[in-house]
Amino acid sequence: QCPHKWRRIFCTLCNSKRHSRDRCPSIWRSYYLLQGNRRRALAIHKIYCYNCGEKGHFGDDCYHDRSSRVPNEDGSAFSGENLPKQVK
Amino acid sequence: TLNTDYPWILNHDHSKQREIADWLTLEIKDFVAYISPSQEEITVRNATIGKIRRAVKELWPDADLHVFGSFATDLYLPGSDIDCVVNSSAGDKENRNCLYSLASFLKRRKLATQVEVIAKARVPIIKFVEPESQIHIDVSFERTNGVEAAKIIRGWLTQTPGLRELVLIVKQFLSARRLNNVHTGGLGGFSVICLVYAFLELHPRTLSADISTTENLGILLMDLFELYGKNFGYDHVAIAVQSDGASYLPKQKNSNLQNPRTSFSLAIQDPGDANNNISRGSFNIRDIKKAFAGAFDLLTNRCFELDAATFKDRVGKSILGNVIKYRGKER
Ligand SMILES: [Zn+2]
Ligand SMILES: [Zn+2]
Repeated sequence: QCPHKWRRIFCTLCNSKRHSRDRCPSIWRSYYLLQGNRRRALAIHKIYCYNCGEKGHFGDDCYHDRSSRVPNEDGSAFSGENLPKQVK
Repeated sequence: TLNTDYPWILNHDHSKQREIADWLTLEIKDFVAYISPSQEEITVRNATIGKIRRAVKELWPDADLHVFGSFATDLYLPGSDIDCVVNSSAGDKENRNCLYSLASFLKRRKLATQVEVIAKARVPIIKFVEPESQIHIDVSFERTNGVEAAKIIRGWLTQTPGLRELVLIVKQFLSARRLNNVHTGGLGGFSVICLVYAFLELHPRTLSADISTTENLGILLMDLFELYGKNFGYDHVAIAVQSDGASYLPKQKNSNLQNPRTSFSLAIQDPGDANNNISRGSFNIRDIKKAFAGAFDLLTNRCFELDAATFKDRVGKSILGNVIKYRGKER
């Protein structure tokens, strides 16, 4: 009798099962990228974690318990996923 | 029909932008241009400060008047007060007698009306309105930290494109919700600048330098509200700012940055004093976090709504209007 039982959420834009296509973060999370030669090297020494304050990883990728009580289901900008492919 | 609740969109329609984030970027630039002072306003403000400054020097030849705060860094909203400080070589102007003698001197010279002398506060000040320009002015005495902070902020502004725009948006957002007054636990101007500066410095896309911040203000504003509204670990993380960069540190590494009453608090390490927390007065951080989260939800919902709408239905619409309420005079 659960009304959610038959509702399958699936995003055809990013393949996520957590939201439908009309609420896909990729609708607004798009960066206008610089072209090749204007880029500089990655400032890897400045990666800090918003969750624990330590150096070397981003908050989304933290291995400690989450500090904020607000859930982060779809991931935020502060994730290793948000680095360009060649430096991951 | 165009909505005049959002005056910055008049004659600036971006509804044909393909990417919603680009539309928001352009709207942020329009808003900043709309609230930025005209050359005439700048001239009036400078002339007003000049008059007060000459009066101070006439009364006390060993003293000088400096502006600090948002006026000194060009980060003020329309109608905001000008913060000034009187510093003297004797260093003796912060006492009751001096406060009252400057107040009556300015009154006699017809440079001040609605004068209030607040002598008993932690930072004694004179508040008044200069009658010709109707500008509100606060004068404090014998302090250099505000002038030092203004110098650091001017350095950040020249090295960090996009900082000015995002700070003005966040300040307007907080001011519309009365969350910008430190006396009621809100976020002061310097704290707002530190939050935005640290956000921009530590954002993965600026670290990898593959975006221009001024071309991505829309997505960056949403990332900013998401960070400080949903994800930031206020219980455990302190923000450290220096004249040349920003970082985080675990609060447990510096007990001076911890609030003795609650672990849920904003900590921003003072660049001039590692044991001082700039934002320790912002005790209402729960409401501030909630407001940022609300702004993020409003913006994302608006983006989904406009993305699904036809180009015809988008004409004359504002993305920012739900979040930024501008209730000032028309400009
Ligand atoms: Zn999706
Ligand atoms: Zn961590």
